[in-house]
This record gives sequence, structure tokens and C-alpha cells, in this order.
Amino acid sequence: MHDMRCAMVIAKSVLLEAVRRKEVYVIIILCCALIGVVMSLDFFGLHGLVKFYREVALQLMGISCALAVILLATRQLPREFEIKTIYPLLARPVGRLTFLLGKGLGVCAAAAFCLALFMLIYVAGILSLGGDLAWGLFLQHIYLQMLQMALLTAVCFMLSLLINYDAAMVIGFLFYSASGILSSASLVLYDLTNNAGRALLWLANYALPQLVLFDLSKKVIHYEPALRAELWRPLSFGIMAALTFYALCHTLLYGGVSYYLFRRRAL
Amino acid sequence: MLAVDDLVVSYGRGPKRVPAVNGITFRIDAGECVGFIGANGAGKSTTLKVLMGFIYADSGNAEVCGLPAGAPESRRSIGYLPEVALYYPFMKAGELLELYGALGGMARGDLRSRIPEVLKQVGLDGRQGQLLKTFSKGMQQRLGIAQALITKPDLLIMDELTSGLDPLGRYDLHEIIRGLKKDGRTIFFSSHELSEVEALCDRVILIDRGRIIREVTQAELRTVGRERSLEAFFIEQVRSGGTGDA
Repeated sequence: MHDMRCAMVIAKSVLLEAVRRKEVYVIIILCCALIGVVMSLDFFGLHGLVKFYREVALQLMGISCALAVILLATRQLPREFEIKTIYPLLARPVGRLTFLLGKGLGVCAAAAFCLALFMLIYVAGILSLGGDLAWGLFLQHIYLQMLQMALLTAVCFMLSLLINYDAAMVIGFLFYSASGILSSASLVLYDLTNNAGRALLWLANYALPQLVLFDLSKKVIHYEPALRAELWRPLSFGIMAALTFYALCHTLLYGGVSYYLFRRRAL
Repeated sequence: MLAVDDLVVSYGRGPKRVPAVNGITFRIDAGECVGFIGANGAGKSTTLKVLMGFIYADSGNAEVCGLPAGAPESRRSIGYLPEVALYYPFMKAGELLELYGALGGMARGDLRSRIPEVLKQVGLDGRQGQLLKTFSKGMQQRLGIAQALITKPDLLIMDELTSGLDPLGRYDLHEIIRGLKKDGRTIFFSSHELSEVEALCDRVILIDRGRIIREVTQAELRTVGRERSLEAFFIEQVRSGGTGDA
């Protein structure tokens, strides 16, 4: 009970940092400005504009949220070590696992805060353009994005414990942006390589999280309920449960490696 | 209250291994105020970090309140002041103390009354709503003392007690320490200030190059102080490996 309360208190401090530091707002304002530019374009016609808006807005929101999470998550532990704020914190009856859990929950709460803001902006934009909003698909997309952010947080924590802050941030962002390319490239390469290469690709396929699995944006963008309604239904409960399980396994894997690296680290 | 037996700590690995603490043994009983004196790099901070569980010993034992040092439960009754006290710049003083108090297991209601009280104790009354990025070094040090005292701990471990404080801050802190001693709290601190140690401590442990070279009582220190300067005594002890006269 005390451990859970400690984790929540630490998470609250991370959320406070995310809210009080300016970078999250800068990302959100830039994102809104770009969305505003898209909404002002009128050479697509209204139907095309709604689709274009959906595409640009969802892509921007995904990237902006990931950027905010990567910045926040990779900074958490190195900053604690650097300015030595970790000493008074761990001088309390708080275990290192609780500390890490609290930090992770805090970054996830900040991600949820960003996603909630983006969600409001997106919905307001769609309604002002008079477009259709696929509520079911859209909410599933937000949920999957949240899972993706939790996974990304665990990966960033691990990176920040293995390498320095700057390198962790760059690799974290490269990993996020190249995940889709890596997934499709590994499928092509699998047929072209020898057995050792295949074993490596097989390992990479299961060990590296496939972030593209959490991207429902294509369905949300091309939502056309008038054409073949069965195509635009929300995903089934089974698929959502499987994706949740997949995200949970990878988050635990990378969170576990982070804890292993942090557990006996000299401070 | 605190027991260290044959503690060995080193930094680095393999041939680059550097010993920091080399088989030290000492004990501090409840209610004692003990100073830990040594030159830079003598092993003071390393010892305190082992007691707090920030680093791990190669061998030997360290116990706090009968529990192995480093176990989260052993820290329940400790208030700790780190050598370099920096705090989250985006937080307000009250929020920071609320964070540390909650982590120390205090209820929200108790914290509401305790925070202004402890801020007043360290001379920061009225600063509860001020952002820490606007705090001077001395104010940060005072806040560091406040966070160490917030849970009313039985044992205070302080690394470089008055570092960064002006003479008035030092005087205030000495008064706080005297008050805590009167309350029966156990205090263990490292310091470079020999006069400070003489004024506050019941006992002093001298450490040099990872080894305890001497333990001196307050009475012995006062005798020394009458005959020659404490600095001269300290240098003599370090040079003779602790065999000099008290």
C-alpha cells in the first residue's frame, strides 16, 4: 500500500514537471499551428479536406506525443543522477522498483495529458469542418496510442540507463520513427537471407516491439461508413485484448531490463 | 542505532579498482551526536552513501536501526541531507516538502501542519509557495535541512552539514542541531569544520584514506582545544595515522 502511494506521489511530480516545463506546450502549439494551416487550405474540396485534415492531424499528433514522451522519459533518470535530486528521494523508505514504477506512471500520465489535449483539438477540427467522426475507431486509436506511449517509455528508460541522455533521446526517436520501416524491411529481407540472418530477423521480430501494430490512423482517416460499412467497424474485443497483452509483455520486458540495470547501480 | 563492521567499498572494476573505504568499524548509539571528520576523498561520503543504500559495499556489514543498510524499511527513521543539495526547480517549496513527507509515509493532514512548522524552523517561513528555481544556494541548503526534518526522524545523517550556508545560516543550523540533541535524536554528520564538530558532537570519528584513524570524545577535543588549535591536532593525527596525543 505504501509502495503504491509512493509510486503515485512520484508520478505526480513527473506530471507536474511535464505541465510546468514549456516544451510540451511548444509541441502542442506548433502542432495546432500546422493543423490550422491545413484547415485553411481549400483546394481539395470539403470532402478531400476532411480526409487531408484527418491524415495530417493524426500523424502530427502521434509524432508530437511521441516526441514529448521521448523527451520526458529519456530525461527522467539521467537528470535525477546529474542534479542529485535522487538522493533525498531514495533516502525515504522507497525501493528502486517503486521509484522506477512511479517515474514510468508519471510519463504515461503526461502522455495521457498530451493525448487528451490533442483529442480535443482533433475533435474540434473535425466538427468545425462538418466531417464524420468514427468515434469507436477513434477511441480505439487513442487507446492504442496510449499503449504505444507506455511501451516507448519503457524503451526510453532502458536506453537512458545504457547510454547517455542525448544518445538515448536520438535513438529513442529513431526507434519510434523507423519502427514501421524495420517491420516491413524484415519481412522482405527474411526471404533473401541465409539461416543465420533469418534467425536474427526472427529474434528481432519478437524482441523489438512492433509499434505499427498500435497505429489505427489509416482506418480513422479513410473512414467512409457509406461504402461497405463492415470495413469501418471498430476492432473486435479479441484483437484489442491481444494488442493490450502484446504491449504489456513488451513494456514489462523493457521495464524489467531497466530495473535490472538500475537495481544495483551506484548513485 | 547504527553499526558498521569491517566495511570495504571500492569504485571501478578490475585493475582500475580504487578502494574508498578500507575495513572501517564503528557504532553509534541512540541519542548520540557523532561527527565524521576527514580530508577530501577520505571516505566520509562513501560511508554515508552505503548507510543510505546508494552504493553497495564489497564486503562487511552496515546496519541502521537493526536492519541492513539500504533496505527501504531501514530508511523509515532516517532524515538525510546530501552533500550537494539541489531540488526540482519546477516545484514550490511546499510541494517539495509534501512530496518527501508523503514518501516518508506521512498523512496529508499531518503534512499540512508540519510543512509551515519545519519551514519556520529552518528560517524559510512564508516561502511555501515560492518556486525553487528562485532559491539561492543558502536557501536550497536550508530547504535541504527542512526535507531531512520533515518526518521528525529518529536518526539524522548529514553529509557536509553547513556547506553553502552563511554565518547566520550556520548559527541557525547549530541551534536546530542542539534542539534535536535535546529531544534525544541521534545525529551523525560529516564536516570539514572542526570548530563545528567540537561545538556540537559528543564524539568524533577521524577517517583518512578509507581507514578510521582515531575516535575522540568531546572532553578530549576540549582539552586539545585549550592546548593547541584543532586544525593542528587534526593534521597531526592524519600524519601520524591516529597515534598522536590527544
